[in-house]
Amino acid sequence: MNTYQGTPTCTLPLLLKRSLLCVFLGMLLSGCVAVKKVKIEGVFPIPVMPKTPIHLGIHLDDELLNYTHKESIDKYGDWEISIGPVQQALFTNLSHGVFQEFTMVKENASAEVDGVLKPNISEVQLSLPNQTRSNYYEVWIRYKFELFDRSGNLVGDWVLPAYGKSNKNNYGSSSKGLQAAAIAASRDAMAFFSINFAREPVVAKWLGAGMPLVPAKIVPAKKIPAKIDPAKTVPAEVLATEQNSKQQDSVQENSIPTPSLGTPPKTDGKQTDTPQTGEDSA
Amino acid sequence: MNVLSKYTMGKYCMAAIIMMSLSGCVTSTVQQIRETQTSMTDGDSVVILGRRNRPSQAEAELDFIDCVAKNVGSGNNGLQVVSEQQFVDALFPWFEPRTAPLNTNELPELLQQPLLAERLRQIGLKYLVWVEGSTQRSAQSGSLSCTATPGGAGCFGFLTWDSDSSYEASIWDTHTAKTAGRVSTDASGTSYIPAIVIPIPIIARVQSSACNGLANQLKQFVQSG
Repeated sequence: MNTYQGTPTCTLPLLLKRSLLCVFLGMLLSGCVAVKKVKIEGVFPIPVMPKTPIHLGIHLDDELLNYTHKESIDKYGDWEISIGPVQQALFTNLSHGVFQEFTMVKENASAEVDGVLKPNISEVQLSLPNQTRSNYYEVWIRYKFELFDRSGNLVGDWVLPAYGKSNKNNYGSSSKGLQAAAIAASRDAMAFFSINFAREPVVAKWLGAGMPLVPAKIVPAKKIPAKIDPAKTVPAEVLATEQNSKQQDSVQENSIPTPSLGTPPKTDGKQTDTPQTGEDSA
Repeated sequence: MNVLSKYTMGKYCMAAIIMMSLSGCVTSTVQQIRETQTSMTDGDSVVILGRRNRPSQAEAELDFIDCVAKNVGSGNNGLQVVSEQQFVDALFPWFEPRTAPLNTNELPELLQQPLLAERLRQIGLKYLVWVEGSTQRSAQSGSLSCTATPGGAGCFGFLTWDSDSSYEASIWDTHTAKTAGRVSTDASGTSYIPAIVIPIPIIARVQSSACNGLANQLKQFVQSG
């Protein structure tokens, strides 16, 4: 009869060693593949400055409110910076300081306001001190702002690049350092926006014109290819006229609207909601 | 029990005294240049700000700014100090890295804004102190290795390094919109860690020395001008 007479004191440490090794290896592997998550939090100050006399709608869409930047940095792992959730607090406080009145709206058009501002984040970049051989964590955020009239027609847009940095000597971990740099970039965006909003050429022209309605974008109809019929060819003079009108349309689409394209400036503090064409105002 | 606790207390006190006496030597110098007369009255306050307009090796550490602000605000002749964060938040967006005035020529235009001037009046700000500089470690040499075995652990070796602190504070008078003067401090020292089984750190507290020197000189500067 074979009986196993192994002593428990020999087998138990072996099991322990193996399980500890597994745990250690697991931790090592998880450390290698873990995504480092950074969330921007904090209270943003209200700008101290003369308010722009406007009642603006602020449209923060889900894309902005859920914006997360993911970046894989060679040798330094995967990073995920959650910038979206703080945008609501950021733009609320910003609007309190910059605009005479503001309303959070769900669409680009609202009859209750003079116009609607829709911020977007178009690009985010980050760098770590080891990458740049400096002492700084750096974050760049590129905002794109779209300004709509109250009918939802685009008045114009502009880009605002923001930059934030934090000294690695002030922060114990790379996550904390990047978080501080991202907060600094958000504050930079707020600061630059609040100082330059009324000076932005698109905004300045629109405000100067009394916040008029702009013509809706003309969507060209689909061209249906047809056989050329010599009998139905367009005379050269007519063609030239058509081409000129097309050029004018494209200029209207791309350029900042001038006062002549919209409604006349306010006289009694109220504006009509009726969209007006260029012919009406002319 | 009572005797034992006294004995233990004594040991800790002795250890603390030895550790304190083991601080490395620091040499520091403080200089000042005065350009205008200064004075402080009741209700006047100062703010200590770090220059952060661009990435540079001379950007003062946050803890250094805190240390200077704390020391300027404490002691018998302590001044009323507004914290850096409280100040930049209260005057947002005018003292952010990209928007802060770089020299006193930009102050009058800024102070002409009624809202800003009112906010500064509420704070009672008289002097704005910009601090630039940093503490760098240089000339490290030696080696130290530690080993842990089932029988015990120990270290052996000798490590030494030099630290240099160099900071300059520029004092702006917000009432006259002129530079009142500059105070600078330089400190250097060598730290050692000899280790025969137990490492004994003998650290030169260079940054702390620079902080104390700068803070004391700033207090004197604004009060006795």
